[in-house]
Amino acid sequence: MRFIKDTHIDFMSQSRLSGLISLFLIAAGIISLGLNGGPKLGIDFNGGTMIAVNYTETVNIEEVRSALANVSLDGQHFDFSKAEIKHFGDDSNVAVRIATLDNEPENFSQKVVGFMRSIFPDKIPENKMDFILSIEKVGPKVGAELSGDAMMAVFSALVLILIYISIRFEFTFAVGAIAALAHDIMITLGFFSILGYEITLAVIAAFLTIVGYSLNDTIVIFDRIRENLKLNKRANYTDVINQSINESLSRTIITSVTTFFVVVILFLFGGEVIHNLAFALIIGVIVGTYSSIFVASPIVIRMHENKQD
Amino acid sequence: MNKELTPRYIVIGIILAWALYALLPSWKYQNLSEDEKESLRESGQLAQLESKIIRQGLDLKGGMYIVLEADIPLLMSNLAKNKDERFENVIKNVQEKLTAPDAEFFPLFKQEIASTGLKLPRYYHEFGGTIEDIFVQLEQEADDAINRVLEILQNRVDQFGVSEPTIQKQGKHRIVVELAGIQDPERARALLQSTALLEFYLVKGPEISNDIIQRIDDKLKGTTEIDDLVASKETLVENELKESDDTKTVSELFGEEDVNPAESNDSLLVDDALFAERPLLSLLIPMGTDYGVNEKNVYAVKKMLQNPEVMSIVKTAGGQFMFGNDIEKPAGAEDQPGFYRLYYLKSTSELTGGVVEEAKANLGSLGGGSAGQPVVSLTMNSEGARTWARVTGANVGQRIAIVLDKKVHMAPNIREKIPSGRTQIEGFANINEAKDIGIILRAGALPAPVNIIEERIVGPSLGADSIAQGTRSVVIGLALVLVFMVIYYKGSGGIADFALIWNILLVLAVLASLKATLTLPGIAGLILTVGMSIDANVIIFERIREELRKGKTPKTAIDAGFSRALTTIVDANVTTVIAALVLYQFGTGPIKGFATVLFWGILISMFTAVFVTRTIFNSLSARGRMNSLSI
Repeated sequence: MRFIKDTHIDFMSQSRLSGLISLFLIAAGIISLGLNGGPKLGIDFNGGTMIAVNYTETVNIEEVRSALANVSLDGQHFDFSKAEIKHFGDDSNVAVRIATLDNEPENFSQKVVGFMRSIFPDKIPENKMDFILSIEKVGPKVGAELSGDAMMAVFSALVLILIYISIRFEFTFAVGAIAALAHDIMITLGFFSILGYEITLAVIAAFLTIVGYSLNDTIVIFDRIRENLKLNKRANYTDVINQSINESLSRTIITSVTTFFVVVILFLFGGEVIHNLAFALIIGVIVGTYSSIFVASPIVIRMHENKQD
Repeated sequence: MNKELTPRYIVIGIILAWALYALLPSWKYQNLSEDEKESLRESGQLAQLESKIIRQGLDLKGGMYIVLEADIPLLMSNLAKNKDERFENVIKNVQEKLTAPDAEFFPLFKQEIASTGLKLPRYYHEFGGTIEDIFVQLEQEADDAINRVLEILQNRVDQFGVSEPTIQKQGKHRIVVELAGIQDPERARALLQSTALLEFYLVKGPEISNDIIQRIDDKLKGTTEIDDLVASKETLVENELKESDDTKTVSELFGEEDVNPAESNDSLLVDDALFAERPLLSLLIPMGTDYGVNEKNVYAVKKMLQNPEVMSIVKTAGGQFMFGNDIEKPAGAEDQPGFYRLYYLKSTSELTGGVVEEAKANLGSLGGGSAGQPVVSLTMNSEGARTWARVTGANVGQRIAIVLDKKVHMAPNIREKIPSGRTQIEGFANINEAKDIGIILRAGALPAPVNIIEERIVGPSLGADSIAQGTRSVVIGLALVLVFMVIYYKGSGGIADFALIWNILLVLAVLASLKATLTLPGIAGLILTVGMSIDANVIIFERIREELRKGKTPKTAIDAGFSRALTTIVDANVTTVIAALVLYQFGTGPIKGFATVLFWGILISMFTAVFVTRTIFNSLSARGRMNSLSI
């Protein structure tokens, strides 16, 4: 079986159109980020408490919200109705996310769990421990440190990769590859912002994976370009690039399709905990494949032309 | 079979045999029933088996991950002598600056001392004469303290009985504790966080307490703070909604009980006039010879007692207020708010828990006042016993408060001199609490208090769900890819499929033998590996097809395909390997699991593609003259 027969698509002539599409997606993301005041950070980075509990029957989020408007813990009064409250996985599970409070009583998370138990006393699992799905509490200092670490991680990965590609290929290729990466991360961030997904530690892991994946794709094409340039020294640069993309197109599509399959399955069946991670990977696989052809290569051509002038 | 290929098959065979051997314990463990596990546990073989299986992360097994940070400012303040306001201010400033990310105590402390010109030897003369000397000593003290904390926590956790706990130092002043399969997070948290500071204080008599409360009320009465309290009564509802607003405490003070005194059990503030006149007293009700505070008013009372002027009155009087450990409810009013006792104690302790030699939890013996109640029996060392005998002997008829972590557990009357150093602590909610207190008293007090700065708990049901969902995703993803490859590349696809399954087995085997932890993101990494590791094969197959189209024979096409594809595969995968390494460096727990799987998945996929698949292809093409290739 063969999906892709010998193709002779002039990808590079489409670079104006693809550039517009990319710019549009990036701009949409930036506008959304601007309107939302930056990416929506999870408690890993912002600090706070996230509690997910499991009722035995479906519960109404609005009921939970109104109950949480009036919480008394150790004689302190709290109104959590403005907190983020949503179903977690299915309709009988509820997750509440509360920002760090200045005057948090001792064992705060446990007390909130206790309160949530009291909202629907007849919908509590028999085994006490089955009620708690998860509790995550991150202090503000730890959150700030994790943000720093995450930025450092993404940054150092980019630098290391830039160095590697510069050694293995020409510097222009490295620039093309990094531009493609920045493009992918910007668009993924934008999608997260537009669709209201949270950036968590796992999402940062996904970002780095996207970095790896997108490069993988770019490099396969670059490798072909390098090979064809050697074989055919006098050929037109753009033609060689077009030829190389066409030659590796079949591989690009097959690999993208298999990877896409598995990340979609992860998104559909992997459960609530890795929903964000899987979502980032889906966007990353699509955008990463697109960018190797339509972002990395045109930039290499553009830089090559500038060098010639 | 081709002779040249025999060594290759031997290598492949050895690796496969090793992988299966490494995975055997996990397979065995997976198929054990609970009963079988129990019998293995009894014979002591379970732990051995468990050490050889693929470890599951807390996110799969369920459990608790806690990061504790030692309160170094408090430790330093405790070590200092002759503390004055200037010193306290320096510590306070450092504390504030410590909230910045990556801030550390000692550089900040040094800076603050330099900028304020604080004379350090004044407070730490026993640690040396110059600032430098003192700093060396203090840093040593902090290191020692954290190491002792580590040891003590280890001790406590061991006695608590959790399988495979990990307790590690992280950075300078932090400790990471991982407890798998914990059933009661609250209990575990208390066990870790409790300083286990046991102190004995004399309780001041009723007249003295009444007097000090009178003086506090005199001070509070008519202050703007209290005026605000009264004035804000009307704006209550509004205030209630502002979480961070300080007046919230006020609104609490005037909770709904105030509107409906009939339900308030006569304990809560009913009388505006009394509140205006005697703010503190109006929130107290007599409980025997002690005062009780309605649980809803505890916060308000604490706020009043934390008023700086009130604090200085209490301090100069040589006393201190402390709440009881347990909430008490009047009989037959279990659904009503309960009360905490408020004690007025001497400010200096008579004896501390360092003298405790043995602490045992049991149920109080019949005949005593604590019959059937959980108690902790203490045995003191000889020095402690002497002091205890002196203290009890000199204060017969008085009450002595037994205080654990700044909470009064009980305050019995001293009936007679206790010469043996034996004593009992009551006031536990249940036997488990008494047991835990026994554990922490035996393990000793923490030299520095610790605060929980990060906490992640995964309940057992979510962990089980994650395993089920993760496994399902892997199986479906794998099946899809396997089927796709066979359809698309026919016979060669079958070879790739073989390599893929081999690949997954090998990754799992490496995880098992490295004692790496499989987490939910790790499972995601495994699925991703499925998708990505097929890539190496795709690159090779596409290349072979291309060479075939150019009219080459299958054998030369295979050779050319593999050799050309090799550099591409390596270049393309190195970047992902770099990303995985960086992730491993940066990540904690679950993320590390992801990075580990990704890293090994990619390395192994390269190996399987260029070695295993190649060998199979070669042996196919070597078998006589090969005219066609199923690709």
